[in-house]
Amino acid sequence: MSSYLVKRIFTMIITILGVSVLVFMIIHLIPGNPINHILGDFATEESIRELEIRLGLDRSIPVQYFSYMLNAIQGDLGISYITGYTVVEEILNRIPITAQLAFFSMIFGSITGIVIGVIAAVKKNTIYDQLAMLLALVGISAPGFWIALFLILLFSYQLSIFPISGYNGLYSLVLPSITLGLGTAGSIARMTRSSMLDVIKQDYIRTAKAKGAGVYRLIFRHSLQNALIPVVTLIGMQFGYLMAGAVVTETVFALPGLGSLIVSAISTRDIPTVQGLLLFMAAMIIIVNFVVDLLYTKLDPRIQYE
Amino acid sequence: MKRRSFVFFTMLLILALVLSGCNWWGKSDSNSKEGSNREVVVGLVSEPDSVDIHRTSSTGEANTPLYDTLLKLDNDGNIIPNLITDYEVVGDGKEVIFNLKKDAVFHSGKPLNAEAVKLSFERLVASSPFSTNAGEIESIEVLSEYSFKIKWINQFAPFFINATTPFLAPLDVSVLNDKGDGFEKNPSGSGPLKLIEINRGDSIVYEPYKDFDWKGQEPGFDSVKFRFIPDEETRILEFKKGNVDVLLNVPYQYIEDLEKDSEVTIKRVPGDVLSYLGWNNKLPIFQDVNVRQAIALAIDRDSIIDNTLNGEAQAVFGPLPKAAFGYSEKIEKMATNKYTRDTDAAKKLLSEAGWNETNKDGVVVKDGKEFSVDLWVDDDPANQRAAQVIQSQLMEIGIKITISVKEAATIIEQTPNGAHEMLLWSFGWPDADVLNFLLFGKDKSKRLHYENEKIYSILEKGAIEMDQEARLKLYEKAQEMLVEESPFVPLYVKENITAIRNFESFEIHPIEGSIEWTSVKVKE
Repeated sequence: MSSYLVKRIFTMIITILGVSVLVFMIIHLIPGNPINHILGDFATEESIRELEIRLGLDRSIPVQYFSYMLNAIQGDLGISYITGYTVVEEILNRIPITAQLAFFSMIFGSITGIVIGVIAAVKKNTIYDQLAMLLALVGISAPGFWIALFLILLFSYQLSIFPISGYNGLYSLVLPSITLGLGTAGSIARMTRSSMLDVIKQDYIRTAKAKGAGVYRLIFRHSLQNALIPVVTLIGMQFGYLMAGAVVTETVFALPGLGSLIVSAISTRDIPTVQGLLLFMAAMIIIVNFVVDLLYTKLDPRIQYE
Repeated sequence: MKRRSFVFFTMLLILALVLSGCNWWGKSDSNSKEGSNREVVVGLVSEPDSVDIHRTSSTGEANTPLYDTLLKLDNDGNIIPNLITDYEVVGDGKEVIFNLKKDAVFHSGKPLNAEAVKLSFERLVASSPFSTNAGEIESIEVLSEYSFKIKWINQFAPFFINATTPFLAPLDVSVLNDKGDGFEKNPSGSGPLKLIEINRGDSIVYEPYKDFDWKGQEPGFDSVKFRFIPDEETRILEFKKGNVDVLLNVPYQYIEDLEKDSEVTIKRVPGDVLSYLGWNNKLPIFQDVNVRQAIALAIDRDSIIDNTLNGEAQAVFGPLPKAAFGYSEKIEKMATNKYTRDTDAAKKLLSEAGWNETNKDGVVVKDGKEFSVDLWVDDDPANQRAAQVIQSQLMEIGIKITISVKEAATIIEQTPNGAHEMLLWSFGWPDADVLNFLLFGKDKSKRLHYENEKIYSILEKGAIEMDQEARLKLYEKAQEMLVEESPFVPLYVKENITAIRNFESFEIHPIEGSIEWTSVKVKE
């Protein structure tokens, strides 16, 4: 197990380094630069030069990269060109909302998806199955902004149950979590259904049934736990999707999270903020997937990492 | 296994709750206005990058009320005293002595005197990317507690109009930390609103500054919250629900709907931003004045305004918007007469320029090459619709336009290099010096790349002419030449549309387009 851990941690570091190089290259390759955004119509050759020196943009790209990474390793992700706040400060200000949003949409998506998936599998080829799969399909295919507006119009504007936008405690995250979690729920429901159908066919389920196990014991004790392994993998993979979906959800619900921050940072070509955020998000996704891999051993004792 | 999973998920839940910062459930409606009926909530699209006026590149309602300006514009656009009570131009115009009003105080409680203004200017010149607005200052001398003298390297006539903008407004440098930074956390200007808190990405909250000149009355509100709601639909719903009292820049498609609500008032003020159709004048295709004039004659501004902006804009034919110093009725009339749409005249001019054949697609051809250009437009839907109308209007005289939608950042970066052919863009500045420093000045024509020695020299004289009457005449002359040369096609100035509800009084400055906080009184 320990040699596996060392190997995985080493791979994670290499992946993060690769991501950092990619992010650095992309941000410098896309047209538009922060100097033009900051100076706008007042730019003169002299002021452009002065600002380039002040921001360190007069150095070559490799020098900028190594200097950035050297600081990043020490926890310094630089200072936003646009706002003057440190990137770490910006991330720490915004992470609570995105973390909560991701967490609750994951919980919502997982619970809803698993329940729908189990119903569809148990009631295979009935109207319940078809209805459940239709719901899953809607969850996967409906665009986030459309779901968000639908929920806002119904629950906030007409029924006044939830706030329309803004953040003030978990109450204001109910609709955003549902919006973001629906896609996840759809994918999980489909995966749970197919995985459950595989498990139900196994001999040990037949044996358990023969021994007189009740329906609930059969489903939850014998089938679901074994069917969950691919579902847990999917949940891990959905984390990246949630991070991407947070961009749209946070914009529609005016939530001050990482998603809305990255939108404004990209449009203003705020290089340190974009780099810091993408690096941070990539690290989070890699870590979550690592944790998911470790969870396998807990779900299925037969899996052992050497 | 079950117990471990339970422990794991419980830990995750606790983590999320801790991250939520104790306020774990929140109010039933986080942004309802219960218990604070004298609070004004303003809905805005985007957050300013900074409240520090020496740093921000996005001045707007959410950060400028922190500052009181040195001079200001009256409702007719005349420069009138504000923090500066009077000034005297000395000698050859390179030195000006300014006298300050004596009772002004910063939000920090410190007096706004000559020394404070000097320190503020020194910071502006040393660290602000916008120091060009102050001109090339050689020295600032404090003459007495409320009097100071600025000496410029060259005369700088736009200073007075620039002093009406927040860019040159004094801020309290004494609140900064040792590094000369930290204004975000401890801001102190002298404007009508005093900062209470900044919730990054969400809102900025102010209270009325008691020592501001409220014209003998008490402020008509207790606090102001600027909320940043990027999504258009969400912003409108918040306003309709009553959670937002002031909705700035109302999208055109919602105006009719909002006007049906008897509790809502729509305020319209002409903006100061002039949208124009420009092109890279260095390209051979645009070298002939007949071609440039033909394009101007092919454009029907009213049709663009009606079809893309719901009629909420004013057509402009001359090079400057009405709000800018240097605007001339005479020039506007002249340009209107010259360039009111006439496709026959436009075709004739094109023909004189050698574009007298058309191919099977109806595109004019010269030396076997068709008149086909790429038009850059940003991702604003209204601008894209305008580009489509322009495309169809120019096709009527045989000019083929291909529309390329680009991010604003890309257009800003690439147009100074001349990477574009044609563009739909805009500018807004309260002084005719914009013709010099941005549009047509020597080596400064960033987007239009227009070169004309005669126009350069007049614009340069305008920048150093300290006599305002003489200055106006210079700009009139320059604009006359620009109308004749037609290096771009001015199109329209959009209206600033604001929707409000629950106010006894609420005024917007007719020239600056900003909220007049002294006029704001919430209905009790």
